[in-house]
Amino acid sequence: MPLTLIETGKTCRVRAVGGNDAVRRHLGDMGFVAGATVVVLSEAAGGIIVDVCGTRVALDADLARRILV
Amino acid sequence: MKIALAGNPNCGKTTLFNDLTGSAQYVGNWPGVTVEKKDGILTGHKDVVIQDLPGIYSLSPYSMEEVVARSYLVNEKPDAILNIVDGSNIERNLYLTTQLLELGLPMIVAVNMMDVVRRNGDKIDTAKLAKALGCPVIEISALKGEGTKEAAALAMEEAKKGVQNERPHVFTGSVEHALAHIEESLHGNVDKASSRWAAIKVFERDAKAIETLGVPTDIISHVEDHIKDCEKEMDDDAESIITAQRYVYIQKIVGECFKRSPRKASTTLSDKIDKFVTHRILALPIFILSLCVMWWLAVADGGPGTILTDWANDGFLGDGWHLPFTMHESKAEGKYKGMDFEAASDAFAREDASKSAWRDAYKEAYDKKNGEGAYDKALEAFNEKAEKEFKPEKDGDEFEKSEFEVLDEAVAKTVVAKEVFVEDEETGEPKAKECDCEKCAKKREAGEECEGCGCGCGEPEKWNVDYAAYQKAAEYEEPEPGDFGVWVPGIGALVGDALDKIGVGETVKSLVVDGAWGGVATVLGFVPVICIVFLFLSFLEDCGYMARVAFIMDRLFRKFGLSGKSFIPMIVGKGCGVPAVMAARTIESERDRRMTIILATFIPCGAKTVIIAMFAAIFFREMWYVAPLMDVIGIAIIVLGGIALKKTRAFAGEAAPFVMELPAYHMPTASGIVRHTWNRVKAYMLKAGLIIFPACVFLWFTMHFDWGFNLLADEEIERSILHDMGSWIAWLFAPLGFGTWQGAAASVSAEIAKEQATATLGLVAANMEGASTAAHVSNLFGSMSAFPRLAAMSFMLFNLFVPPCMVAIAVTFREMGSKAWGWLAVAFQLFVGYALALSVYQIGMLVAGGGFGVWTAVAMLVDLFCLWMVVRPARKAA
Repeated sequence: MPLTLIETGKTCRVRAVGGNDAVRRHLGDMGFVAGATVVVLSEAAGGIIVDVCGTRVALDADLARRILV
Repeated sequence: MKIALAGNPNCGKTTLFNDLTGSAQYVGNWPGVTVEKKDGILTGHKDVVIQDLPGIYSLSPYSMEEVVARSYLVNEKPDAILNIVDGSNIERNLYLTTQLLELGLPMIVAVNMMDVVRRNGDKIDTAKLAKALGCPVIEISALKGEGTKEAAALAMEEAKKGVQNERPHVFTGSVEHALAHIEESLHGNVDKASSRWAAIKVFERDAKAIETLGVPTDIISHVEDHIKDCEKEMDDDAESIITAQRYVYIQKIVGECFKRSPRKASTTLSDKIDKFVTHRILALPIFILSLCVMWWLAVADGGPGTILTDWANDGFLGDGWHLPFTMHESKAEGKYKGMDFEAASDAFAREDASKSAWRDAYKEAYDKKNGEGAYDKALEAFNEKAEKEFKPEKDGDEFEKSEFEVLDEAVAKTVVAKEVFVEDEETGEPKAKECDCEKCAKKREAGEECEGCGCGCGEPEKWNVDYAAYQKAAEYEEPEPGDFGVWVPGIGALVGDALDKIGVGETVKSLVVDGAWGGVATVLGFVPVICIVFLFLSFLEDCGYMARVAFIMDRLFRKFGLSGKSFIPMIVGKGCGVPAVMAARTIESERDRRMTIILATFIPCGAKTVIIAMFAAIFFREMWYVAPLMDVIGIAIIVLGGIALKKTRAFAGEAAPFVMELPAYHMPTASGIVRHTWNRVKAYMLKAGLIIFPACVFLWFTMHFDWGFNLLADEEIERSILHDMGSWIAWLFAPLGFGTWQGAAASVSAEIAKEQATATLGLVAANMEGASTAAHVSNLFGSMSAFPRLAAMSFMLFNLFVPPCMVAIAVTFREMGSKAWGWLAVAFQLFVGYALALSVYQIGMLVAGGGFGVWTAVAMLVDLFCLWMVVRPARKAA
C-alpha cells in the first residue's frame, strides 16, 4: 500500500517506487529503494515526514503515494 | 594542486572549507546553502586550492546546483577528491562515496561529525572501512577543527601518489559481468582511470553522460543486448539495479565497520519541534507570527528597533547624545537651573517659537509701515553697521540693544503675534498642553491621559506674544547639553564643527553636510533595523527552520504550480535579492526555477526594509501592522503572480514533486549568528560608502546647480538640473500620487540601491518646513497630494514591488541565461509595482472622497485585467 496510509510511528519496508525516471532516480539517491526501511515520523501540512537511512526527509503527499510499502 | 570537497548536502563541506582556508563562506543549516563552486587557498600551502562544491546525493544530477558539482568532478577532474561523509548518517552518505570512487581520481574519505557519533555512543572502524573502500579514511570534526589539517595533508599525499589501490567491487553476479564487458568494449574510447564510471553510465543509459563521454553509437548498440539480458534476469530496469546493488553493498560494509549503540525508541527533540511547527493548522500561523515578532523588534513604535534608530539618527549620527545613567538636573546658573534636559528643551522650544513668531509679526508690521522689503533692507544695514563699528572693548551700547529697538521701537510695542504654538515633530500640528496642576500630575503618575480635566490639558496649546513677552523670551538661550550629563557629540555635529574650523565656504559645507553626509547618514541611521532583521534571519537559517518552512509552504505553493522549494529563495530574499536569485538553483525544474527568479524579489529585502522603516515611522506610526503587511503583500503577489504566470503558455505544467531532507535542529552558536549578521551589515554599510555616497554627491550637484553650472540659492531649486530631469518623467508618477520632480528623482534613484530612495527623499525634502527629516518628508508628501498618506503608501508600494536594484537585475539576467527572459522578468515586475501603486492610490482616493477620474477608471481596468489573468481557466501543459 502507499506510504501515505501508514500510521505515524510505524516502520515499513519499501516494495517499489513509481513515477517517472528522474524523480524515481532522485528518490533512490536519497535512500528510497526496494528493501529500504522507512519510519513515518509525522504527518504534517501537505505531506509526511519520514526517517529513511537515518535521515529525516519531508515528502509531499503526491510523492508519498508513489512509494509502495 | 586542486582538492575538491564533495559530499551530501548539509554534511559540513563549507564548514570544512572555512576551516581549511580561513575564509568565512556562509554556512547554514538547510540543504542547498552552497549553490556555486568556491575556491580558497589552503592555509599554509600557497599552491593548494581547496574547492567547495554544492552538495549532491549522487552523480546523476537532479537540480542545477548538482549539475555544477558533477560537471566539475567529471569534466575538469580535480587532483584529489576529499569526500566528506556525515558520520551520523553513514549509510546514505556512502552511496555517493561508491560513485565518487568510480571516477578513478585520487580520493580520501573524511568521516565528519565524529563528535556527534561519539556522543551517540557509535563506533566506526575506519581501518576496516578504508580497506573495504580501497582509499584512506580519516575521522574529523569540521566544526571543532579536529583532524582537518590531517585530512588535507592526506588528500595532498594521495594526489601525489595517484590511484594505486584497486577500487571495491560494488556489483555482483551478472551485473558485474555486464559491466566488465562494457568496460572492455569502451577500451580505447574513454580514459582508462574512469572507465568504470563510463561503463556504469552506459549501463544506466544516461544519455547526457554518454554524449559527454563521446561513446560511439555502435558500441552502445553492441552492449545493449547485455544490458537487456541483465534487466530480464533481475526483473528490473538497469538504473534501479545499479541503485539497489549499491545499497546492498553499503549495507554489507556498514554492518562490518559500524557499531551502532542501541538507542531509545523515543522521538528526538527535533521530531517534537517538527510536530509543532509543521502542524496541519498551526504551521502557517506560527510562521506569520515569527515574521510579526521580527517586525515588532525592528520597526514597532516603542520597540527596540525604533529606540536604537532614533538614537542612531539624532544622537550618534546627528547632534549628539547623553551617555546613559549620567543624566542629571542642570546645576549651571541660568534659566534652566534645576531642570532636566527634556524639560529644558521643551521650555526652550516654547520660547523659541514665541521669538520667531513675534519676529515674523514685527517684520510684517514694519513692511506695512515702510513698504515691501523695507525690513530686510533695514536689517541688512543694521547688521553691516554693527559689524563695522562694533568694538567689544568699547562695548558700544547701541549694539547691546536688539535690532527692533534700533529700527523702530514704536512699531515693536504695538506688535502682537497671535496663536503661537510649538510644532509637534512628527505631525507638524500644535503640541498638546501639559499643565502642572496637581490633578494632572496625579493622573499622569497613574499612567492615565490627563484630558478634559478642565485646565486645558491634552488640548493643542496656543498663546499670544507681545513685545514684553518677546523680550523675556529673547533671554532664553539654547540649553547647553553638557550641563545635563555627559554629552557625546554626534558625527553630524563633529563634521559640521570640523568644516567650520577649516573655514570652508558655505557651498562646500552644504555639499558635505546636506549632500554627501546627509544621504549617507540617512542610510546608516537604519543600521539598527537592518541588524535586527538580519539577526533574526540568521537565527532562522542557522537553526534548521528553513527547510521546514519550505515544506509547510509546499501545499500552498503547489496550488499555483510551484513547489515549496521555491520558498527558500524567497526567505533568502528577505536578506538580499542577489543570493535569492542564485538560491533558485536548487529548484529542479527549469520552468519552476525561472518563475521563482521572477517572483523571489517581491519579498522586501534588507534594503527595502529601510524604506518600510522610514515610512512606517513617518506616516504609519500608530499602525503597527503596516510593516509585516508589506511581507504579506509580497507573499500575496508571489501567490497571485504565480497563478497568473502558470496560466501562460511558458509556465504551464505541474510543479516538480517535493522531497527534501530536514536537518536536525540545533541551537545556533552566538558567534556564528553574529558573524553571519555582521557580514551582511558590513555589506550594507560598504554599500552606503561605495554607492550611496557618490550617488548623493551627484544628486546634490544636480540639485544645487542649473544647466549653466551656476550655483543656485535654496529658493532657486526650481531651476536646478535635478528639478528638470525629475520633471521630465514626473508625469509617469502623477497617477500614483507622487508625480513631482522629487518623487520621480527618489523613485528612479532607488534603482541604484533601494535604500537610496530614503537618502534621496531626505535630500530633496531638505527645503521643506519642519525641524527634522521626518517632518520634511511628511511635508513633501503633503505638497504632492491632497491625500499625503495615500501618496506615501503608494510611493512605498511602488518602490518595494517594482524591479529590484541594478545588481539584482543583473544577476537575474545572468541566471535566466537569456536576455529575453531577463526582460520578461523586469517587465513583469514593473507592471506589478505600477499596477499596485496605481490601484491603491486611485481606489483609495475614491474611497476617501477624492472623486472619480480618468485614472480611477484606468486603475479599475488594470485590476480587472489582473483578476482575469488570475482566475481565467488554465492552459493545458504544452
